[in-house]
Amino acid sequence: MRYVATFHTHLSAMLTCQALQGHDIAARMTPVPRALSSSCGTCVRYEAADPCRALLDADLEAVYEEQDGSYGRLFSNDSQ
Amino acid sequence: MTKKIPWLVILTGVVTGLAALVLTKAGNPGNMGFCIACFLRDISGGVGLHTAAKVQYIRPEIIGLVLGACIMALVRGEFTGRAGSTPALRFVIGAFVMVGALAFLGCPLRMVLRLGGGDLTAIAGLLGFIVGILVGVLFLKKGFSLGRAYKVKKSEGFVLPAIMIFLLVLLLIKPAFLYFSETGPGSMHAALPIALIAGLVVGALAQRSRLCMAGGIRDTVLFKDFHLLTGFLAIFVTVLIGNLILGQFNPTNAVQPVAHHDYVWSFLGMALAGWGSILLGGCPLRQLILAGEGNGDSAVTILGMIVGAAFAHNFGLAGNADAMTDGVFTAGGVAPAGRIAVVLGLVVLAVISIANLYRGGKQK
Repeated sequence: MRYVATFHTHLSAMLTCQALQGHDIAARMTPVPRALSSSCGTCVRYEAADPCRALLDADLEAVYEEQDGSYGRLFSNDSQ
Repeated sequence: MTKKIPWLVILTGVVTGLAALVLTKAGNPGNMGFCIACFLRDISGGVGLHTAAKVQYIRPEIIGLVLGACIMALVRGEFTGRAGSTPALRFVIGAFVMVGALAFLGCPLRMVLRLGGGDLTAIAGLLGFIVGILVGVLFLKKGFSLGRAYKVKKSEGFVLPAIMIFLLVLLLIKPAFLYFSETGPGSMHAALPIALIAGLVVGALAQRSRLCMAGGIRDTVLFKDFHLLTGFLAIFVTVLIGNLILGQFNPTNAVQPVAHHDYVWSFLGMALAGWGSILLGGCPLRQLILAGEGNGDSAVTILGMIVGAAFAHNFGLAGNADAMTDGVFTAGGVAPAGRIAVVLGLVVLAVISIANLYRGGKQK
């Protein structure tokens, strides 16, 4: 499955990308798609069997499943 | 995977370029259809925060940019009150971005407009801006962060839009305590409706497209993503073609409108602006747009820029434009006080950048 994780900070995206790559998961950082946010932050795109929740940084905003260019929100962490 | 053509950001760039050309024709100073730094500086003077008589005016373009972004965000359901990402540091960084931009005599957007008008003296600013962004990106890669923002009450998000509405009311009723330049760049302006509409349109489009002068170069370096850079280039190409058609293209490094030949300090001033913009997450234009869609941290940044502009003109930190009067050339440039301020700004950004590096463990 292909996932897109958005974060509150660039650092958070970077730490997550490193954590995913450390577990041999294909991950890369890109600008957040406009469809997901009006902010110009950084997201992590990765391919894995599941969303790998344990590897995502605490400043995670949300995780989406990407399918044919559209995004379905799986869960968010935006309690505040 | 085929890359989509970023039509929206290109459209925004083209419209911004066209609006800049119209505003210049309608009365704004040369190559200054838009200049976020200059216009915030004019507003700072207009409300009496500085006493430089030639740069005092309540610029409707700024009001329009913020309100255009605000209206678009409200219509699209994207207006959210957010704040709490080290606002005091953002205030300081915003102030120094302004000091750097005013040393050069233009924000990153005006830098592009100056280049599109054939102002070759702006090349030093462009090079400095790129170097500043590269330094900022280096710190991003090393783990720089100002921390996250949090959802806050909507009223927090309306602070800058409300200030802009208040400024618009002041501009309409023109109370005696406001200052309006009678000579110099501050006296040169498009009529209020034209300037306001131009700001509203560009603000709304910039909110939709996320246009950012610093973000384009940052994303190109960080991700090899050229999306935002196309907006930057679209502005340049539009203004270049427009100036050629209008006979305003003057590709020399001779006396240019509101510009100077102090290349070293143009370079360093825009390096300061570029570096600061990366630490803030966007150029001055982007900060206006973010503040318009409810970001309280960006509102604080804009207030920092207004105060920075006041300091720049009260203490002679801003660059002085070259002048040609009756065939006599008077060299402008950045005075010693301005040079000290730019160096101080670079030192302060270095301290902020290092102090906010990630050092392992839980993020604070």
